[in-house]
Amino acid sequence: MKNLVPEWAGEYKEFWASIRKRNLWLIELRYGVVVMLVFCLIISKYIFKVDYSDTQFIAISVITICIFVYNSILHKVRKFLKCNPHGFNPLYFSLIQMILDLIALLLLVYFTGSIESPLYMLFVFHTIIGSLVLPSIVVYVVAGSFVMLFIAMLTLEHFNVIPHHQVIGLMQIPLYDNIHFVVVFLLTFTFMIFVSVYLTSKIVGQLYDLEKNLYDSIKKINAAEKEKQKYIMGIVHEIKAPIAAVASYLDIVLQKFLGPIDETVEDKLRRAKYRTDEGIQLINDVLNVSKLTLYDQFDEEELDLEELISSVIKRLNPVATSHLIELSFEDKRGEKKKITGDKFLLDIAFSNLIGNAIKYGTDGGKVEVVLNTEDHNQVITVADDGVGIPANELPKIFNDFYRASNVKKISSDGSGLGLSVVKKVVERHGGHVKVESPSKLGRMKNPGTCFTIILPINHPKETE
Amino acid sequence: MALIAIIDDDPDILDASSIVLTSKGYKVVTADNPGDGYKIVKEQKPDLIILDVMMNEPDDGFFLAQKFRREKLETPIIMYTSVSKSVGLEFGTGEIVPVDDFVEKPISPDLLIEKVEKLLRLHKVEE
Repeated sequence: MKNLVPEWAGEYKEFWASIRKRNLWLIELRYGVVVMLVFCLIISKYIFKVDYSDTQFIAISVITICIFVYNSILHKVRKFLKCNPHGFNPLYFSLIQMILDLIALLLLVYFTGSIESPLYMLFVFHTIIGSLVLPSIVVYVVAGSFVMLFIAMLTLEHFNVIPHHQVIGLMQIPLYDNIHFVVVFLLTFTFMIFVSVYLTSKIVGQLYDLEKNLYDSIKKINAAEKEKQKYIMGIVHEIKAPIAAVASYLDIVLQKFLGPIDETVEDKLRRAKYRTDEGIQLINDVLNVSKLTLYDQFDEEELDLEELISSVIKRLNPVATSHLIELSFEDKRGEKKKITGDKFLLDIAFSNLIGNAIKYGTDGGKVEVVLNTEDHNQVITVADDGVGIPANELPKIFNDFYRASNVKKISSDGSGLGLSVVKKVVERHGGHVKVESPSKLGRMKNPGTCFTIILPINHPKETE
Repeated sequence: MALIAIIDDDPDILDASSIVLTSKGYKVVTADNPGDGYKIVKEQKPDLIILDVMMNEPDDGFFLAQKFRREKLETPIIMYTSVSKSVGLEFGTGEIVPVDDFVEKPISPDLLIEKVEKLLRLHKVEE
């Protein structure tokens, strides 16, 4: 069996998607053809008084019914086709459609007067459609066979081996017995068919090449992006080593492992430690983003979100208390379904969101975390009554390194990567994040922000 | 008092860890490469090993830990990682890491002491 699949297209999803689409399109178009045939038959017979013989009328009706039947079967079968480059795939399906259509058309042409039938022009249409989907060699073979059949049909009619079905009222003078006309007609017809196949295949070939180049470029860009991330990780890693050593020493000095220190010195060292920690946080954020881009796989385990969020809340409670912020968590779900996901990644995402709410909250204010179910999703909202986010900056806050203008005034630390990580993590789990400002807790001076994470309970795998 | 071997190619991390651990009365031996590290562990039989995951080459520490375990050495191992292992940089998901605990750099003295004490206690119980 000849492999109809272009080499580069084997695993290329877009290619198969477009072939599937074209197959469906042909099937839909064919239903239209059936309707047109019925319509034309009735109009021509009863309005234009075209005089069909009984044989012609029955034959055309039977062919129309056959087209309808095979089209319905194709429509059903199409759904079960797998895009397997080595097995029976949508390309063979296209070939079968093309052959069935050509047989139907050949019979229709025969029963409507063969050489006198205007329907022969539709051959061109079929060869063009075939060339769009199938390799040119296959289309040449199929088209060549049908041209031969057509020639044979006309020859047999000319020599009265098979009966000629003239449509009275359509063509007054029979043409099939005029040998000169038949020869010129067939030459022109053959030429027209092969030129159509040639031109269409050429153009489609060029389009395929373009598509292939595009596909290769995408692959290269993805590879380059991964290289870039690896490079960043390498460098940031190298930068982290000395900073980590400094931070370790600062801890040792500050925690008096080397004996007592002067209060003024201690104060400055604390400041140094604070700034070093900021640097390490930034480095960790950059590394997290790079890792999320680089590593496609992640852990999949059954998790209870209530448990996960509770542990994050417990960890962040001391921070909230130090800012006199009331941090609350409520599980409003009726049925406590587990989700499948990566515990560590989700932990990072929730820590970032709740941590932000505390960091940019108002001292003495509130942070409310609510877990709920909506349709087949788990919905987590984190609302605060803090500084909020200016409306025009809302769309940008999930971008790498973006920090809202009002937030920059409040605190200098923060890498602007926290929310980008949240978004990436949530999207990995097939969910999405929304943000609103002002929030339900907000007041005039402190509008507050509310983040909503929507996680599907059974998220579809990205590979499908 | 327990003997702890620290293997890391960063001399300052070796120094800082030594200060913290000796202040708690532990005896410490150090090595700044996997080769020497292997030697001191074999010769001095420490009660606990602290190992950096990346030395000259990524995963050097990881391979050394594997080597110890293959030789049926059951001394508890704490691994220093440069990045929290949570996102799985050093270790692919599902890979079995033959160590008992991790400490992320920079080293927090309290956390290091806590983990060392916990592991030594656990190990004594097993014995």
